[in-house]
Amino acid sequence: QTILCLPRSFDYSQKNAVLVPAAALGVGGMLVYWLTSRHKIKTIEMGDGWWGSGERPLKGKEDESIRPFKIETSDKEIEDLHRRLEQARYTPPLEGAAFHYGFNSSYLQKVVAYWRNQFDWRKQVEVLNKYPHFRTTIEGIDIHFIHVKPSYVPHGRAVQPLLMVHGWPGSFYEFYKIIPLLTEPARHSLNEGDVVFEVICPSIPGYGFSEAPHQKGFNTIATARIFHKLMNRLGFKEYYLQGGDWGSRITTNMAQMLPQSVKGLHLNVVFTSKQGLRMMISVMLGAYVPWLVGLTREDVRRMYPFIQKNIYDLLRESGYLHIQATKPDTAGCGLNDSPVGLAAYILEKFSTWTDKSFLHKDDGGLESKYSLDELLTNVMIYWVTSSIVSSMRFYKENISKESLTADARVGVYVPTGIAAFPQELAHTPHTWAKEIFKNLITYSYMPRGGHFAAFEEPKLLAEDIMRFVRKVEQL
Amino acid sequence: CSSLAGIMLLEVFLVLGAVIIYFLLYKKKEETLPFKEGWWGKGQKPDTEEDTTIWPFKVETTEEELSDLFRRLDQARFTEPLENSCFHYGTNSVYLRKVVSYWKNQFNWKKQVEVLNKYPQFKTKIQGIDIHFVHVKPPRLPEGQSAKPLLMVHGWPGSFYEFYKIIPLLTDPASHGLSDEHVFEVICPSIPGYGFSEAPHKKDFNSVSAASIFYELMLRLGFNEFYAQGGDWGWLVCTNLAQIAPNHMKGLHLNLASVTNMGFIHLLSILLGRYLPGLFGFQDEDVRRMFPFLEKGLYRILQESGYAHIQATKPDTVGCGLNDSPVGLAAYILEKFSTWTDLEFHNLEDGGLERKFNLDDLLTNIMIYWVSGCIVSSMRFYKENLQKGIGTQKHERLTVQVPTGIASFPNEVMHTPRAWAQKKYTNIVSFHFMPRGGHFAALEEPELLAEDILQFVGKVEKEQLWRKK
Repeated sequence: QTILCLPRSFDYSQKNAVLVPAAALGVGGMLVYWLTSRHKIKTIEMGDGWWGSGERPLKGKEDESIRPFKIETSDKEIEDLHRRLEQARYTPPLEGAAFHYGFNSSYLQKVVAYWRNQFDWRKQVEVLNKYPHFRTTIEGIDIHFIHVKPSYVPHGRAVQPLLMVHGWPGSFYEFYKIIPLLTEPARHSLNEGDVVFEVICPSIPGYGFSEAPHQKGFNTIATARIFHKLMNRLGFKEYYLQGGDWGSRITTNMAQMLPQSVKGLHLNVVFTSKQGLRMMISVMLGAYVPWLVGLTREDVRRMYPFIQKNIYDLLRESGYLHIQATKPDTAGCGLNDSPVGLAAYILEKFSTWTDKSFLHKDDGGLESKYSLDELLTNVMIYWVTSSIVSSMRFYKENISKESLTADARVGVYVPTGIAAFPQELAHTPHTWAKEIFKNLITYSYMPRGGHFAAFEEPKLLAEDIMRFVRKVEQL
Repeated sequence: CSSLAGIMLLEVFLVLGAVIIYFLLYKKKEETLPFKEGWWGKGQKPDTEEDTTIWPFKVETTEEELSDLFRRLDQARFTEPLENSCFHYGTNSVYLRKVVSYWKNQFNWKKQVEVLNKYPQFKTKIQGIDIHFVHVKPPRLPEGQSAKPLLMVHGWPGSFYEFYKIIPLLTDPASHGLSDEHVFEVICPSIPGYGFSEAPHKKDFNSVSAASIFYELMLRLGFNEFYAQGGDWGWLVCTNLAQIAPNHMKGLHLNLASVTNMGFIHLLSILLGRYLPGLFGFQDEDVRRMFPFLEKGLYRILQESGYAHIQATKPDTVGCGLNDSPVGLAAYILEKFSTWTDLEFHNLEDGGLERKFNLDDLLTNIMIYWVSGCIVSSMRFYKENLQKGIGTQKHERLTVQVPTGIASFPNEVMHTPRAWAQKKYTNIVSFHFMPRGGHFAALEEPELLAEDILQFVGKVEKEQLWRKK
């Protein structure tokens, strides 16, 4: 009864005539702010950097020229390599070890025999040079990249710029088979659609023919910024990104840094920042009622038994990551001096990360998916550029107490496509990916393939990239 | 209602009683670790009896070995370190170049081989593989005394050579200003897969296998009772030996005493030990060395255990390049001699290596790995011991009743307080905080270690403690 009395006691004085609209304005204003701020995307700071030797020069503008580049070799280089291959010292494997203790040295001797006697580095250099290479100086270091344009563009079709970033222990060379499928899809009988790309594959600083940073602190965010500057320098305002391994982290950072420049982000590996309790609950329930936590049957097949696949298997496979993230200069020293050691270290990954069951094979199953020429060309890129140590330093710069938490909270709002390959080291289901990638356009369970997707299954990956881009273009 | 309560109460008492009786009985049962049979030679084990002869061994070198080494040192390819990185990224290659230059120009391997050969070395075949060991008897014995056999076991990336400075202090204490109340004859074997001991050809050669082989070695040498000393893997092998043959071991001395079987109490003591040290049996020095735990425990372990992680999973991969590049091998091994001697050394451009060691000793140890080509097999020991995880194996749950002496050096990577050690080593006779020194105690602080061993043995012998087990 007292409540009903209130409106009557409301005094229509002048004071109230001001208060009521003011309150309404305040509430309305707050509502508007709340509505608009939901669409204001958080981005990562771009920042700046200097990675050359010594102090950054105060005067003078950086040389922004883009210089054509060709890979070269010499008799001296090849003779030195051959000498080292001939003098290699091996340790016989334990009886019945297959690849369980690492790269089997009996099989390694066969690989080295091929490398010494049949592998033709001069011929492979020509293969590498078939695409146009360039170098340009950004933030004090020379950035190497290949830039492949379609040889003809069908009438009225737009050419989409696509930046593809490699990882470790890969290189720009991993993309050599997929590039023609993306620049000339029709010739390779892929669904034509209206999607044609010009592809840019840079080498991460410290890898291959990109100069290694001379200063500490060079992480994926610095790389992302440098690659944005590269695309800008090439005249691109908006572009697509594709990446796996470190390439996935770098392209994701690029999307978080300058979303307005990124038309779409396609990944074949997704790193999730574990979200503690919720993830644990999801994992535990997922084993019994997957549908309740958004897991599909395929997710369950790939993720469980969880402890086995995600903890034991990862522990077994992450020794390299642990030592590279703590003592890269130590770990890489011998590998830069012994090509056989370098090959064992790198090729072990091409075995196990392509198919976990390859551990049981005496030859690591390597030649069932790749040719020795391809594998050795990738190893040679690390060898002739002496980049193994700097490539390993990238792990230390990116895996520290600070960096693990930094960009985990920033979401990704650009249109994203994920290709989930079955033999990838760890599977990230759609529901978990959505937590970070707020604008997930496509998510595909690929029928086969492992970590080195572009290298191993170029056609499958190209098809998925095109499917994704086609959808984005329609939006 | 009350009769029901009465029945329930009776049931509770019965269960309680059963549980108490079970625990009492369970406690009485002291398990020993069984001797591990094995055959580690190539192919099939032959039907014939094993040859038990012991034959003398001398380290040798050839011109070819030396010129091959020099050629590799000459062709070494280095990577410039990042500016101002000291030893934070691992072994600094600028300093490494200096070491390699010394190695090429001043280090004299032929002379070092003579140094190695100054102590008598032998080999004998046990369980199918040749076991190398150094056996040094005292040059003179005081009236009425007999030499006490002392087995000293090295670790990774060390070797029998680490004991070359401490051996004379133990076999001839009087000449070195130490009391000669106890004089030792020292036996330093090489763990199979290390140095001049043959590497096992079969899978599964772990610390218990090594302990079993060394047990057989001591018996073959005619020792019925002996002392054992160890650090790094030597700690584990000697501990296993104490568990296999407690009746033969008079005393166990350790300069590392890790606890791998962590339980709820350990976790609690980590969380609260800084505030309630007394409750967990922590002394002031324990608190000083262990806390803050995140920094001195967890992060330090993560920062320094990359090598163990990769060696425990892919030893053949990581060791491959190191067996082919002496410079790579040196970088890998020297990093440990720097960081494990003093963690602060990673802030120095030269890793502080020559503050506590001389290059001749460091390179001699590395040469042992190089000329024997044993780096890969030495790393496999990590996989065989750790592949199932830490704290999962049977011997990790068993205790040690043999009289134990622990020398706790301050710069050891992780500190184990006595309160934790005594859960495993139930018969700790002496536990001392050493004033200085790190992981490679025998090489770095031989006098300190020798003194601690002597006082420990003194205690054991005086009270004949080995009889009281």
